[in-house]
Amino acid sequence: MPKCLVEHHSAEWSFGSFDLKGNQKNPTMLVKIPPSAVYAVIAILFCDFVSKANAQVDFARDIIPIFQTHCYECHGPEKQKSGYRLDVREIALKGGDNGEAAIVPNLSAKSPLFRFVRGEDEESLMPPKDSGKPRLNSDELAKIKEWLDNGAIWPDSLSGQKRQASTHWSLQPIKIPILQGGSENPVDVFVRAKLLESSLAASPEADRRTLIRRISFDLVGLPPSPEEVEAFVSDRSSNAYENLVDRLLASSHYGERWGRHWLDIARYTESQGFEYDRLRDNAWHYRDYVIKSFNEDKPYDQFMREQIAGDVLEPVTRDGIVATSLLVCGPWDQAGNGQSNKTQRAITREDELEDMIGVVGQSFLGLTINCARCHAHKFDPIPHDEYYRIKSVFEGVKHGERSIATAEETMARNQRQKGLEREIDIASHIVSSIESDGAEQALAKRPKGPTELGPIPFAKWTFDGTPIEVMPGELKDGAVVRKLDNEHGVLQLPKEGAFFKTAKLTKDIREKTLEAWVSLASLEQGGGAAISIETGNGRVFDAIVFGEQHPKKWMSGSEGFARTKPFDAPEETANTKSFVHVAIVYASDNSIAMFRNGEPYGKPYTPKTPLQTFAAGDAHVLLGYRHTGGGRAWLTGEIKQAALYDRALSHAEIAKSYRAGGASVTRAESLASLSPDQAGRHAAALAELQRNKKLLSELPKPPVSYAGVRVQPPNTMRLKRGDVNSPDEEVTPGGLSAVFEIEHDFGLKADSPEKDRRLKFAEWLSDARNPLPARVMANRVWHLHFGQGLVGTPNDFGMSGDRPSHPELLDWLAAKLIESGWSVKALHKLIVLSATYRQGAAFNASAASVDSDNRLLWRYAPHRLEAEAVRDAILVASGQLNTVGGGPSFRPFTTTEFNATFYTPIDRPEAEFNRRTVYRINVNSGKDPLLDSFDCPDPSVKTPRRGVTTTPLQALELMNNSFIQRQANHLAERAMRSAKNEIGRGIEAAYQMTIGRKPNDQELKRAMLVAKERGLVSVCWALFNSTEFIYVQ
Amino acid sequence: MSSNREPLPNLETNGNIPFPRRHFLWHSGGGLGAIALAWMLNRDRLHASTSDSRSAIAPHFAPKAKRVVQVFCAGGVSHLDTFDYKPDLEKMDGKSLEGKGENLGFFGQPGRLMKSVYGFKQHGKSGAWVSDLLPKLSECVDDVCFIKSMVAKSNNHTPAAFQMNSGFTLNGFPCMGSWLSYGLGTENENLPAFVVLPDPRGLPAGGSINWTSGFLPANHQGVAFRTQSNEPVPDLQTPKHVTASARMADMQLLAAMNREFADGHPGDSAFGARLRSYELAAQMQTSIPEATDLSMETAATQQMYGLDEPANKGFARNCLTARRLLERGVRFVQILNGGSFGSPRINWDGHENVKENHDTQALTMDKPVAALIQDLKQRGMFEDTLFVWTTEFGRSPTTQGIGAPGRDHHPTAFTCFLAGAGVKKGMEYGSSDEIGYFAAENKVTIPDFHATILNLLGLDHEKLTFYHNGINRRLTDVHGQVIQGILS
Repeated sequence: MPKCLVEHHSAEWSFGSFDLKGNQKNPTMLVKIPPSAVYAVIAILFCDFVSKANAQVDFARDIIPIFQTHCYECHGPEKQKSGYRLDVREIALKGGDNGEAAIVPNLSAKSPLFRFVRGEDEESLMPPKDSGKPRLNSDELAKIKEWLDNGAIWPDSLSGQKRQASTHWSLQPIKIPILQGGSENPVDVFVRAKLLESSLAASPEADRRTLIRRISFDLVGLPPSPEEVEAFVSDRSSNAYENLVDRLLASSHYGERWGRHWLDIARYTESQGFEYDRLRDNAWHYRDYVIKSFNEDKPYDQFMREQIAGDVLEPVTRDGIVATSLLVCGPWDQAGNGQSNKTQRAITREDELEDMIGVVGQSFLGLTINCARCHAHKFDPIPHDEYYRIKSVFEGVKHGERSIATAEETMARNQRQKGLEREIDIASHIVSSIESDGAEQALAKRPKGPTELGPIPFAKWTFDGTPIEVMPGELKDGAVVRKLDNEHGVLQLPKEGAFFKTAKLTKDIREKTLEAWVSLASLEQGGGAAISIETGNGRVFDAIVFGEQHPKKWMSGSEGFARTKPFDAPEETANTKSFVHVAIVYASDNSIAMFRNGEPYGKPYTPKTPLQTFAAGDAHVLLGYRHTGGGRAWLTGEIKQAALYDRALSHAEIAKSYRAGGASVTRAESLASLSPDQAGRHAAALAELQRNKKLLSELPKPPVSYAGVRVQPPNTMRLKRGDVNSPDEEVTPGGLSAVFEIEHDFGLKADSPEKDRRLKFAEWLSDARNPLPARVMANRVWHLHFGQGLVGTPNDFGMSGDRPSHPELLDWLAAKLIESGWSVKALHKLIVLSATYRQGAAFNASAASVDSDNRLLWRYAPHRLEAEAVRDAILVASGQLNTVGGGPSFRPFTTTEFNATFYTPIDRPEAEFNRRTVYRINVNSGKDPLLDSFDCPDPSVKTPRRGVTTTPLQALELMNNSFIQRQANHLAERAMRSAKNEIGRGIEAAYQMTIGRKPNDQELKRAMLVAKERGLVSVCWALFNSTEFIYVQ
Repeated sequence: MSSNREPLPNLETNGNIPFPRRHFLWHSGGGLGAIALAWMLNRDRLHASTSDSRSAIAPHFAPKAKRVVQVFCAGGVSHLDTFDYKPDLEKMDGKSLEGKGENLGFFGQPGRLMKSVYGFKQHGKSGAWVSDLLPKLSECVDDVCFIKSMVAKSNNHTPAAFQMNSGFTLNGFPCMGSWLSYGLGTENENLPAFVVLPDPRGLPAGGSINWTSGFLPANHQGVAFRTQSNEPVPDLQTPKHVTASARMADMQLLAAMNREFADGHPGDSAFGARLRSYELAAQMQTSIPEATDLSMETAATQQMYGLDEPANKGFARNCLTARRLLERGVRFVQILNGGSFGSPRINWDGHENVKENHDTQALTMDKPVAALIQDLKQRGMFEDTLFVWTTEFGRSPTTQGIGAPGRDHHPTAFTCFLAGAGVKKGMEYGSSDEIGYFAAENKVTIPDFHATILNLLGLDHEKLTFYHNGINRRLTDVHGQVIQGILS
């Protein structure tokens, strides 16, 4: 297909010679246009001819200009006041928000449009008086009237539905120019041609020492070793340089270098940003996917498709699922998504989708589609509705973690898990029935006691002075025990802030029952819990909560309402002096049921998020407090007794517990009264129970990644002015009409399955006739090799972006990229083997006076290393680089949880922290001062090109940062070792390890003086701070 | 105000190449000096403008203020319990809220209307009403201009804080301080142009996200000073194990190496800029500790700010430090009052009990901020310094939940105030409706507010732009009108 595309386009053909509004400059050129490219053009011309022949007033000639002059400013592509627009036939006819047809064909008198422009009354005159626009003159009015009365003929081609093809350069098909230059690298031919136009010439080739340092940093982001430098310098073979390039491209470090570039574009972050900025423990899979893709030289079209729809592209692979993380690896407003105001929540979601559309449009297409959210794009041919058609493509993608196991892996694991859970249920049932038999037997032995006993809890809290055995606890912040008499007491929670907190759990708790006898101080309170079980940090909890979501109702509280749904039960009415018995059962099948005074309270339900395990040694129980860190979290009143059962009680058991008033025998008592046979069966069942629980806990967790979750979304509506409360017409999924060679309508319905939308979009995007992706990617690669692109705005190939400095070269590179099967490595080779890339970096005042920016490439411009390369190069020089790749990121900070996550950077010497910087966890608010000072971008910003600043703070970092101090020491030791402790040779080694050359005599002499006085470390420190070290020439 | 120093080479003639300025400002990888000299622009400059719409050349007209100090109260200060007195709300206390449309709160449990939990009195010659919560700020009313019709876009803390700081509700947009650093540079290159003084009790949610330079070059990022530490800026001090004389000698070695390299590569002025950056770094090592050393202040001054009071001494230190930084030419100082949203809260987020919460917060804020205003005034600094007091949003006239004493977030009406250079004194601008629910008269959006601040600094908010991914970005997005009515 690529070949076919290229062959069709001859060099002399130019789309730019057409004015697509219908005025062809040279109609004979039509024959040269490939038919596929310009159906739209031909159709427009044809209709124009027809209309000119048949009507006196011609819509295109006579009416459109009137609309343009008087109306479009408020009712055109950019603005649609009152939802009305005159550039789209359908809406022009049917009218705006008031619902009345604006145009009645053949009846100008009945057409409101005519009434308004004629100004029957001053109130409704259009354009309005205060708009500053002139009103229509009599000639114009006559034309409008005639046009209306002659049927208001409005040709299909101008209906505004089929948009006209743009003449903008980047949207034209890629064409390979004819090359002259024999066997010379075409890159050099194109570059020389432009240089010659300005009477400039390229610089001579750089020396080998410079070249190997340049190409090493460029391709793998690391400096060459002194041995590699010497070997290359003395390699006499004609293909020494090409061999070097091949070796570097084959290195696994290549993907780490170029993957990092892609992560900048993808605005890859490993924390949420916004208020909570929580860590995303499992976002790194995407980083590894990107690195691997570059290392494998994955065809770029496949790379694109996978990042759009890899989770649904058959056959589905783990890589494919992970790839779609692109859509969600930016910031996410958890608080905004969870808040109760519907409008604000909808805005939060729209912002999320804009970010998604932004990253897709800018990364792959070099188009800022995101600018068309509120109105048609101001510069580029992207109509308002097309933003929403693309939104419809991604509307089903939401933030969050998902399993990255394949369907088979998941099924196998689920079966194993279900089997174990069943075994556990059976054993658990045997254990509890023997224990309750034991309890009956124990009761029978007692002289007297309650006639009825409840089930045996795992832990129970009473306040009558008897010791609490399993999980004792302490009174917090105003909680007191109120004695009722000598034998009885209650936990009193007199004010907000007071609660009771138990010791840590002594066993893991999964399925469970929470139970309490509560007297509420007031029925007006809300948000407090009678009993709660929570993880040590309070982040995950299950609780019996009163009045939080609905006043006066009980509910099952959980973090972010993850497992909460209303029970649909009546409001609490109990007298505030009396005790209510409440219990919630969390069963192993994930169902949640509540009981009040022994009877079902509303309806049970099964939440979407799974049952949680509360781990021994970490979790604890709270009475009177919903969860640690929660707002409005306290219950005021009294608690007589509370209990935690390590299993799901039945309705009958709960009713029994209620009737027994919580009385039960202890487990120890029960076990003591078992017969030998019972005891034997009990022990066997218990052993079986424990064995299966252990197996269950050892079952590997399904691997998850922050690749987003999918939902089947409601149909997408265009939002007027981007306002979430002003939905307009329904839209169907589609691409951009600006890419006019490909059908942008996907033929999908508004309610088509979510996955089909993304599959179609991926297909549309990576279609080789789409001229943008290849141009955009070729430019990125060029930009990252030379420090500036052929197009200076790598994410913006639209009208407000730069024009290419070498358009033919860009097209040639793009065509070659496609032709090579989208091989990015092949593209690198084309570029770096060129003489243009290999030329020297020396400044040339006369060339600079003509082309100060070096856009014409009269030299290779020196550039500073990026933050990651600075840090990695230091680690290579000091011999401390840990080359372990992949896996969870290293975390050079401590975190503090205080509702949100806070990060305090730390510098650690361990090997884990000496991995390449691309493996550093990329959190929004956990910035590293050293990397920061070298312009490491804000991870939430889509960064196609990094800033390069030189600041005093950067100097301070290199001077004083403890990492630099430590690595300077390592470098000094390493250099001295290699020099067998001879100081002069040690200095030479340090120079070679950092800047790839030996010092000259004067440098050596000076360094000797310093090293003798203060040690080699001073020289090493200076080398790390030197301009020569942090610049590549 | 600035130290004696050698004049720096003029930008126009710096190096050997005449650079089109836009490349300094937004081209990052252009090679040559464009790469490295960007920081040098970060100085006071009043150059002729270029016709390139992408570049931001400033100021655009004669400024009234040269620098700004902004107090930002995290969590959302209740306008109804501080500056926006509502007699009608007293009458309607305990009644249901009606006729205001969709509930705007974050938690969605509106209770009944609740009158202010404080008494209100009139103060000063202007007769401005201020609640009893803020006795010291009450004394400043004749020096300030209240805007009582502020409107925020979001009812959610971080987006609202982002909007107040950067004009956008999203991550990754440059803060006002970054825009000013970018647009005006610094008056004293020995100090950063944009300094943030976080509340010593804790960072706001999102931490450093709140002073990001977004897509602007990193040299415009806010530099957070840890004023409680003896090293206000990380890696400012020479490591302890390196003696001063050894460091001096090492710096000489480095300077010789870098000078030789620069000399060996004439024309690439980036290399000269690196040399200069080390000189400035060395100067910062003394200028920052000097600027943050409060022992130079008189006992009376220290007492005025409340440095001797345990409740507010940390925040008071920051207010006094802010004055010292402004004196030394820092362009934008942001003082944060209040940190994150854990339990107990250390900010103004009075969901549970607005009185309890605001009592605690006001104790740290009232006296030091009032002292800062008075101090700036008495030292004549209001001639060219703008003072700005802001928060995220207001709080609802209803309680949060029936019978509960707290108030929820409320974005559609709240109060901020300005004082100093170019601003009318003893004035109130705009108003909210009878219960402080919606802005009623002269509604002021945050873009309007920002446009006005930029205007006072001689910047046209529509012209202070930076090209990023397809858009010439502005602090004010595509909105904003200067509030002419408050300009003196």
